[in-house]
Amino acid sequence: MRSMTWTKRLPELQFLILCTVCCYAFLELFITPSQLSAFSVLSAIDLILLSFLLSVLVAIISVIAGVGGGVIFTPLMLAFTSIDTLIIRSTGLVVAMFSGLVATGPFMRKGLADIKLVFLGSLPILTGGFAGSVGAIYLAKEMADTGDSFVRLLLGLLLMAIATVFVLGGASTEYPEHNDRSKLGRILKLRHMYWEDSLQKPIKYKAHNIKAAIGLLFIVGFTGGFFGLGGGWAVVPVLNLVMSVPLKVSAATSGVLLAMGNSAAIWPYINVGALIGVIAAPWMLGQIIGGIMGAHILASIKASFVRKVLIVMLFATSVKLTARGIEGLFGISIPLI
Amino acid sequence: MPTRRKPPIPVSGVVYGEIIYWGTCISALLVIVGTIRSFLETGSSVSVSYLLDAALSGKNVESIWAASEIQRVPNISFYISTWTNGESLTVIGIAAGVLSVIPAIFFSSAYLWRSNNHIFAIVALISGFLTLLAPTGWFSP
Repeated sequence: MRSMTWTKRLPELQFLILCTVCCYAFLELFITPSQLSAFSVLSAIDLILLSFLLSVLVAIISVIAGVGGGVIFTPLMLAFTSIDTLIIRSTGLVVAMFSGLVATGPFMRKGLADIKLVFLGSLPILTGGFAGSVGAIYLAKEMADTGDSFVRLLLGLLLMAIATVFVLGGASTEYPEHNDRSKLGRILKLRHMYWEDSLQKPIKYKAHNIKAAIGLLFIVGFTGGFFGLGGGWAVVPVLNLVMSVPLKVSAATSGVLLAMGNSAAIWPYINVGALIGVIAAPWMLGQIIGGIMGAHILASIKASFVRKVLIVMLFATSVKLTARGIEGLFGISIPLI
Repeated sequence: MPTRRKPPIPVSGVVYGEIIYWGTCISALLVIVGTIRSFLETGSSVSVSYLLDAALSGKNVESIWAASEIQRVPNISFYISTWTNGESLTVIGIAAGVLSVIPAIFFSSAYLWRSNNHIFAIVALISGFLTLLAPTGWFSP
């Protein structure tokens, strides 16, 4: 019951939901809908309303798992629509970014996201993302679809391995303990404490393996920029498994970090007209409303639930990426959702 | 006996979060106004039905804009110069949400410096400048 009482303390969320509902109700009731030739049963307004509702659902799941909605949105859109990949990638970045952007406030207020970890990860994520974008253009020119499929296959296998580590790691990954403290972690004072609502007690943690984590975050940024998926799906494992940060803090910090990283990556898309406002708008609004909901639900649910959601997400994404890699490399079709 | 008191929350983090949170909420209102305006406009240079139909039918970005009334690929300057248009207002709203990250980073950096976290304050400044460069096209591949 506690998980639902937060809505009463958030007048801005109520106001935003009210405005959005009024907006779509007004459009449905007072605007003569133009039938879309691509969808004979849906009008333009129906499609926008459907996108908004899907976006709210995607945002709640992605904030709880700390993966960024782009990981869910982009494969789904690529699989089920014939929309240009550039438009999907730009809208995917909006989806990946806005739930994280709006969740930044509640996460910081509750002390769930660690601002030092955010800035520690910001440089490798930002520079890696830029290098990934340049690398994607280079590979597309030199190796065309073969290079893309090869990298997708490798990424799918890597994600599958990470998901397996999460399964085998069991409860130890929720509140990881590490006896040896890194020298760099001591210099940077990377120790913190947060209030665990589900246990009603504070949890202390110290970050470890800083150098390895910075290198891995650069790789995550690179792959995120390369595919236009964002990089949140891999930031949680880096923070949790490599740096020994509690899973809930990892999920919150990942969302904040992802939002910052993608805020730079969206601009090239805006400047080439790939961000179509009428398509991105319902997804953005859904991410904001769903993002606030997800951020408050995350604070009050048990960490084991977050771990289960994350495992499912990682496996689902890895299967999709692996299938696409095999399809591209061997020219076969794998019927997979 | 273990303490059950809630730990203090860093001001630098709260400042960062609040600026982005409210910036994003305001940008959402702009997007709502832009969406309504898009559907109300008659004889607009960028029709909603045209954009949705063209995108759903699989046309690429260049051909979508080439066949539209504006007949060229828009960039941020175009959207700003035509801000009263529904589509432009929607894109400006999204961009405003994205831009809220920049002041958040700089204010957070100042609070990190005041709390003697000098290394992180400098890292935040560098990240802020990188993010500031992005809209200028420096990040464009």
